[in-house]
Amino acid sequence: MNKQRTSTGQAFWATLQRDLLIAYKRKNDMANPFMFFLIVASLFPIGISPDPERLAEIAAGVLWISALLASLLAMDNLYRADYEDGSLEQLLLSPHPLYFLVLAKNIAHWLVSGLPVVLVSPLIAYMLNLPSESYMILFVTLLLGTPVFSLLGSIGVALTVGLGSRGLILAVITLPMSVPVLIAGTLAIEQTSNGASLSGFLAILGAMLLASISVAPLASGAALRISVN
Amino acid sequence: MWLWFSKLGSPKWFYELSGKWLPWLIATMILFLVIGATWALLYVPQDYQQGLTNRIMYVHVPVASLSLSFFPLMAVAGTITLVWKMKLADMVVKVAAPLGAWFTALALASGSIWGVDTWGTWWIWDGRLTSLLLQLFLLLGIISLRSALEDSDAAARACALLSIVGCINVVVIKYSVDWWNTLHQPGTTFGMSSDQPNGPEFWIPLLIMGIAVALFFTVSLILATRNEILERERRSQWVQELVQE
Repeated sequence: MNKQRTSTGQAFWATLQRDLLIAYKRKNDMANPFMFFLIVASLFPIGISPDPERLAEIAAGVLWISALLASLLAMDNLYRADYEDGSLEQLLLSPHPLYFLVLAKNIAHWLVSGLPVVLVSPLIAYMLNLPSESYMILFVTLLLGTPVFSLLGSIGVALTVGLGSRGLILAVITLPMSVPVLIAGTLAIEQTSNGASLSGFLAILGAMLLASISVAPLASGAALRISVN
Repeated sequence: MWLWFSKLGSPKWFYELSGKWLPWLIATMILFLVIGATWALLYVPQDYQQGLTNRIMYVHVPVASLSLSFFPLMAVAGTITLVWKMKLADMVVKVAAPLGAWFTALALASGSIWGVDTWGTWWIWDGRLTSLLLQLFLLLGIISLRSALEDSDAAARACALLSIVGCINVVVIKYSVDWWNTLHQPGTTFGMSSDQPNGPEFWIPLLIMGIAVALFFTVSLILATRNEILERERRSQWVQELVQE
């Protein structure tokens, strides 16, 4: 019986590596959310106004909303493939705490879908004429905020993974929950450009991130157990 | 205590007990509603600024404050569903979601009607309005999740979980939206300062209306739960007997 015992840490790393490897093999799935982010962000100047001054006013909001929508779009393939090929069931049967395995999957997913969006955001910010002193703030707040989108979205995906038409339900469930992060992120950019100190906003975003890291994977795990019966 | 608890979980027991309560609850509700509405609409002195418009407060404030109680209610019932797998608790989660959506929509609508006369606009992105709107969206999300999941046991647990998550989230949304709003509109004069009645001639009818609306909420919840019980237990013997009577 007691041949090879893996520790929870090993299981965590194994899950993380496996998901990153799968993402690497399916580069298209990886590129889609990123492309989506670029396209949505470039629709705003076309739809609202090409005037640089008006764009500068809405740039922060546009970037945050595009990042939120891109993260929502990317969520769908977080558990679906695993659900369809049965490996999700194996994950649930594993003796390790589901919290760490779900967290590993969320981290892997954010690394391939959230991080590229954050990295490219200064470029889009430039194109939207965001004041240059806000680039760093935008980058840091997105870096703290987009993982929260992934962690919250993970709960919604886990609840709807067995459904045929889950896309819209996922949006209805997840988007209202993401509002606090959106508020903190856009306020940080707007208020600091008016001279407010950044540290308070970073503290709030950091608190949201820590709270969702510690609670959301538990909820996702419970939701997965419900969905995979 | 545990005997009482497991008894409460039995749909049949609840159905019989609530059947005995209902006439009394409805009678009290009508009594309070008639007294409260007449007093509020005919006898309360007019507000010196808002005139007759102010009377909508007697509907809006009770409805709005009750609509905030839905998520805590659903979260508690959801926890009971997840922990003790009590059927009755799941029925409450199920019927409370549409009821809560109606209450929230009513609170928003009555607030809009009040707002158009006092603020001069139907809608404003005020903290309270926005957080109620987001609460409505979350409730609609729970309703659509319930209707999308076919297996009723999985739907029960999924909605219970989402109610708990949503309840935590509503609190975070409430605070963050207030924060967003106060930063955006410093020194706002909107707020709800006009609902601080200055004398008993204002707050006693408000209290009566508050009790009336709370009773209305209880009665609707019980009626909807009874309906749900009949539907789910339609194959059991006692329901068949009841239908045949």
